[in-house]
Amino acid sequence: MLIYTLRRIIIMIPILVMISIVVFSLALAMPGDALSGQIDPQNSNPEYIAEMRERLGLNDPVHVQYARWATNILQWDFGRSFNHKMPVTDLIGQRLPNTILLSVMSMIITYILAFFMGRYAGRNPYTIGDYGIQGLNYLMLAIPSFVAAIFAIFFFSFQLGWFPATGSIGSGVTPGTMDYWVSKIRHTALPALVLGALTTASYTQFLRNDIIESAQKDYVRTARAKGTSENQIYNKHILRNSIIPIVTLFGFDIASIIGGSVIIETVFGFPGIGELFVSSINNRDSSVVLAITLMLSVATLIGNLIADLVYGLVDPRIRVE
Amino acid sequence: METLDNQSTQELKKIAKKQSPWAIARRKLFQNKLAMISLAFLVIVTILSFLAPWITPFDPTRVDIMNRNVPPGGDFMLGTDVAGRDIWTLLLYGGRTSLTIGFVCMFLVVSFGTIIGSISGYYGGWVDAVLMRFTDFVMNFPFLVFVIVLASIFREAGIWALIIVISVLGWTGAARVVRSKTMSEKENEYVMAAISIGGSPFKVIRKHLLPNVMTTIIVQATLLLAVMIVAETALSFLGFGVPSGTPSWGNMMQEARQPHVIRSMWWIWVPPAMAITLTILSINFIGEGIKDAFNPKSAR
Repeated sequence: MLIYTLRRIIIMIPILVMISIVVFSLALAMPGDALSGQIDPQNSNPEYIAEMRERLGLNDPVHVQYARWATNILQWDFGRSFNHKMPVTDLIGQRLPNTILLSVMSMIITYILAFFMGRYAGRNPYTIGDYGIQGLNYLMLAIPSFVAAIFAIFFFSFQLGWFPATGSIGSGVTPGTMDYWVSKIRHTALPALVLGALTTASYTQFLRNDIIESAQKDYVRTARAKGTSENQIYNKHILRNSIIPIVTLFGFDIASIIGGSVIIETVFGFPGIGELFVSSINNRDSSVVLAITLMLSVATLIGNLIADLVYGLVDPRIRVE
Repeated sequence: METLDNQSTQELKKIAKKQSPWAIARRKLFQNKLAMISLAFLVIVTILSFLAPWITPFDPTRVDIMNRNVPPGGDFMLGTDVAGRDIWTLLLYGGRTSLTIGFVCMFLVVSFGTIIGSISGYYGGWVDAVLMRFTDFVMNFPFLVFVIVLASIFREAGIWALIIVISVLGWTGAARVVRSKTMSEKENEYVMAAISIGGSPFKVIRKHLLPNVMTTIIVQATLLLAVMIVAETALSFLGFGVPSGTPSWGNMMQEARQPHVIRSMWWIWVPPAMAITLTILSINFIGEGIKDAFNPKSAR
């Protein structure tokens, strides 16, 4: 397993370099100055731009620029955001906790919902409850996240008034207090619920089918023959085997949450990485866009790595190549 | 004698009919009520969208300041939006844009995925290794993030740039599926026979392998159609898709980014929201139906 892990991580290095080259080429095509973020994107005076480009070395050969950019990034320097007047790393650092909170909450919601719905449907297949859950699954697979988000805002925020519609924190609360955290969680709950509920469908289906399949297996018959109660069979014998394949999907979740959070955060005006990404594109704040693109690509790569590693852990055959 | 002959040929025909997997699949699909209702819905939506100029008297792009935010009923069946455009008209024209982009993207993605996947699966070896590493590499990019970045760079280039950007990043899944199916199909004797009589690789892939991989491709294509429509509407909703002057379901939803529209003008965003969701739902049901119909193990 250690050799497998090391091999996987070493394979990542050339991929990382190639990703950085692709992102760098995008940066050259982006409007304004994506590499350092020093040129005012609103100023279209050609003399000003020419002078700034010369001063910042944007007229150097491409490979020199790439080397300089890559060196800076390895030293954790992503340039400055022109609109926010601060280093990009600081800006992302401010937003990242919100996105992480949102992702973690949505994952918890996904797992809890999928666990209970999948367990119920798997234990009572082809009953009304099962068909109800299946119908719900079809609906959740079909409804795009931004549509679901708007319906959620309409019902839960405006009609019922349970949750705030936008933002990530109420006004007038001081960080560190109990009120602060309550307000934070109340603001995060609805976006997390939408993000989490929509990914539930595939997990529920997976768990349901696995439970139905396992219920036919010999070890279950043995357990039954020995007089084990149905509850024990389902909760201990079957569930333990059926949970494992679900855990392996976890790595792929990171990729889907990244895409989902861009949309959900924008709809809810939730100040996280995704919302920062969209607003930076609209403000032509290219250095921020570049940093987030690189960061999310690396996060996706790591997500796939985790999926591979967990898979290798669960299924030893994968480790042999 | 003659009647007997007739009977036996009929019997033969029946057997022949039974043996064609396509006929079995078609029969199974026609018996699937949910898939048929969905298909009917999709066909109706498509026809209505493409006949839009003959169905509605209004111009989808004309701004009418006198009739802004009119609730449903009266002169405007589904009301008007914040710029005074008729919602029903926008819905029809928007469907035309969204469905066209969905179909074109799906076609490009499936074609590209099929080419890469079948070459990779047929040749194996280093060709496979190179193509699949490339596929893995493209897969590593977060789809939505890259589409948004590229769409913002090519913002002036219009709808075709959007279609190409979505297609260039979206083919990886289809390529993988086609590859694995081609690899298992390649092991059959008929492929070896085709090669042994001197069929060129191109001919073997096109004439012998692809027809047998076709069922997989069709199922993939249906599911991808749904994905592509969602991609277009989501991008347009965020403002990186279809140019804002062109009606599309995603652009209609864009109005709902303002809280007061969500709160008090439901007639602006509910119709496109329902149109998108029901279309995706029906495409998914059709896809499930086709998958089920081609599955020899399924009971029906």
